[in-house]
Amino acid sequence: MHLLEVENLTKRFGGLIAVNNVNFHIDEGEIVGLIGPNGAGKTTLFHLITGIIKPDSGTVRFKGEDITGLEPHKIVNKGLARTFQVVRPFRNLPTIANVLVALRSPRGNKKIEWLKTPERKAMEMLEDVGLSEMMLEPAENLAHGDLKRLEIARALATEPELLLLDEPFGGLSPIETEYLTKSIERMHLDGHTIVIVEHKLHALMKLARRVIALHFGEKIAEGTPQEISQNKKVIEVYMGKSM
Amino acid sequence: MTLIENFLITGALAGAVYALLALGFTLIYGVAGVVNMAHGALFMLGAFLFFAFGPLGSFGLGVFPALVLAAIFVGITGSIVYVLTIHQIIRDMLAVLVVTIGVALLFQQVIVIVFGAVFGSAYQAVPPLLDGYQTFLGVRVPNSRLLVAVVSLSLIAIVWTFISKLKIGRAMRAVAQDREAAMLMGINTTKLYMMTMAISASLAAIAGIFIASSTTTTADPAMWLRPLVMSFAIVILGGLGSIKGTIIGAFIIGYVESAVVVFLPQESFLASAFTLAIMVVVLLVRPRGLFGRRIELE
Amino acid sequence: MVANYVRRIYTNFATNIIDIPPRLLALLCFFILLVFPVTGPNVLLLYVLTYTNLIAIFAGSWDLLVGRVGQISLGHALFFGIGAYGTALLYKFYQLPMWVTIPSAIIIAVAVSILVGFPSLRVKGPYLALITMTFPLIFVSAILYFKQWTGGENGIAGLPSFFSLQFFVERGFSYSAALYMQKVSEYYMTLLLLLVSGIIIYKIANSKTGIVFVSILDDELASKASGINTTRYKLMAFAISACFASLSGAVFAHILTSIGPGGTLSVALSFLPVIMTVFGGIGTIYGAIAATFIIQILDLYILTDLVPIPMEWHPLIFIIIVIIFVIKWPRGIARFVVEDVLKELSKEREIEERGKHVWKKYKKKKQEATESAPED
Repeated sequence: MHLLEVENLTKRFGGLIAVNNVNFHIDEGEIVGLIGPNGAGKTTLFHLITGIIKPDSGTVRFKGEDITGLEPHKIVNKGLARTFQVVRPFRNLPTIANVLVALRSPRGNKKIEWLKTPERKAMEMLEDVGLSEMMLEPAENLAHGDLKRLEIARALATEPELLLLDEPFGGLSPIETEYLTKSIERMHLDGHTIVIVEHKLHALMKLARRVIALHFGEKIAEGTPQEISQNKKVIEVYMGKSM
Repeated sequence: MTLIENFLITGALAGAVYALLALGFTLIYGVAGVVNMAHGALFMLGAFLFFAFGPLGSFGLGVFPALVLAAIFVGITGSIVYVLTIHQIIRDMLAVLVVTIGVALLFQQVIVIVFGAVFGSAYQAVPPLLDGYQTFLGVRVPNSRLLVAVVSLSLIAIVWTFISKLKIGRAMRAVAQDREAAMLMGINTTKLYMMTMAISASLAAIAGIFIASSTTTTADPAMWLRPLVMSFAIVILGGLGSIKGTIIGAFIIGYVESAVVVFLPQESFLASAFTLAIMVVVLLVRPRGLFGRRIELE
Repeated sequence: MVANYVRRIYTNFATNIIDIPPRLLALLCFFILLVFPVTGPNVLLLYVLTYTNLIAIFAGSWDLLVGRVGQISLGHALFFGIGAYGTALLYKFYQLPMWVTIPSAIIIAVAVSILVGFPSLRVKGPYLALITMTFPLIFVSAILYFKQWTGGENGIAGLPSFFSLQFFVERGFSYSAALYMQKVSEYYMTLLLLLVSGIIIYKIANSKTGIVFVSILDDELASKASGINTTRYKLMAFAISACFASLSGAVFAHILTSIGPGGTLSVALSFLPVIMTVFGGIGTIYGAIAATFIIQILDLYILTDLVPIPMEWHPLIFIIIVIIFVIKWPRGIARFVVEDVLKELSKEREIEERGKHVWKKYKKKKQEATESAPED
């Protein structure tokens, strides 16, 4: 059984087809990359999978269960978490409180080990992403790179089996990119299955074992990073036909 | 038999005036994105000024000069209120809500103070615009109500033409669709908003005069709440920002209320209950109303 | 808001000259409130403060819902009215004692809040504001329609008091002295209620549930994406808020011993918490309560007795100030301290060292921030 199955997923906005009959699956333990030029429908796809938008047709199955169109929080509590392309921290709360919110979710709350307080767990999670210095700082004072890390820490607090990262490398310096790559590898070793949407192809290709390419809402290619980088259609789409 | 004719005619009369009332509310929302909680207060101000300027008040003018004067006065007041308050916070919808409620409460208090001091009481009788009756289909209709309905429809037609044909009207539609683009085209949104506010306020004032003189025949300082809720209900039903929707919504609600008044005269409180119920249901089932979007003629 | 500005000035003052934490100041104010009746029979002020104690509970309940969860309620008078009419009607028709009618009224209010909350909370911002505005109107229409039972415009009179005059007369007080003693007792009772309610609401706001509330206010979608059932939390906030609002309404009924739709379900009452929180800082809870006292004392005592201004003019002053405030400082939300978290953190044995280090750094940063000129 695949961890995630997307079948014939379609979504239209007025006359525009954002996601067109997309089919793919993710197996447990994979790191999969999702690429495509702007407007290819990657973020919309994430929205559809995580219940933020309802599809016009098609199904999403997680661990064998049909989760199509469920409320976002219910999906999270089944073990599917995501980060946002444009960070959405809780600006009015201190950094540690951001993580505490996620730990209040039914799933996050369940997985707090006996004798540990949520605060302790939140502190440890912040340490893992290197944010423990900023623990009591209001989230709105954090730098962009820190907010990206907070976003991930918050998602991890819900103890997901599958983690969808939407452009996690966006706006990061080379050092931060390096650090994040190592963090994602560590997450993978910890047992999380990860799907990454990313534009910075060099960072993605290092991490992903399998890559899916989208264009105008359709899947145009699927394969190893090697195969994809040599795929004629993908090159065309990224470079433009007039080459 | 006369009940049905009564219902048809009463509904039409009511719908026409309600449409006039709600039109101003829709206009300022469609063009400027402002939910003006003081709309009912402008309605009320119109009625009170009409009383003050008119034959029973201190200026003793004729009924029609008083009406025109009151409408102009309230229109200017609307623009002033816009510039002083709404303009600064126009981006924050919630702040606009709070401030305009404040303005409405303010108007209420000012009227209590001023009219209490000058006329001894803030509760006054408002004279009808015309005397006499006509008879349609066996139903006796007071001339004043007839006049009110006819003028309301005419005003609505004028506003409609204004918006669809005149340059300023088209500017309004442009701003309603895309504020930034309109500004880039050189449209002075501030002036435009002020003008829209003036029109909206005048329409509200005229509606206030019409309803106060033909239906309730009184003016009291708490009378701003009902027209506000009514405007809101109509505009929610018809769709915020859609003129067509507002007019149709007004007639629907006008007929619903007439149905209660004509067929269930014992339970007249049900009229407002039904209106509120319609509003609540629409908000829950289809929040954008029948024709909602931004301001559209279609 | 000016409140934030004042708070910064105060913090500056407090940390540099006198080391008084805000808690102590609140305690001081409470002490003054506790002791003032002893300073002499000022009957007007007594009445004013008793009423203010209840309105402060009302404002605090509103602040929790609107300031912390962001669910705009412009019809909060509904719950005050349900509290008042609930207890009044239960007494009128069933002659039940107060310790039955008041909790029953509260339970009814909470039930109503969930009933109307469930569909209402699905709509956002201005729509929610307007839909909540209609609720007290609907209730008033019902009251007027069923006037044979509810007394219509005139309301219900003859409600029992909390402290009977006989009790004092039997103990040798003259009639007027007994009346005074009754009013003093009512004052202390409402003060106690305020203390308890205020503490409970504040604790909820700063608990982990409160953190979730603020997350909903801040970014409801992100909160959902963190696994939170935001609808459930919103309903919870609605219910808690209704509970305390109706408590204040029910107690009000028995202190005034007669109620009508005008005093319990008016638009002005629904708008009152807006005024309080604009002055006191929305979302702080203690700000709403403190501002209630300042405004009510100003409105009902200072501007009535000491510097007499006709009653019709009072609302003008406050509303104009509110309008100016909202325009100059559109709602800024206070930084949420989240005290529960700080307490838990410092409890951790193993990380106490690290906690102290971080806490020291934080305190130092705070010190530096208040030493430099306060920006606005």
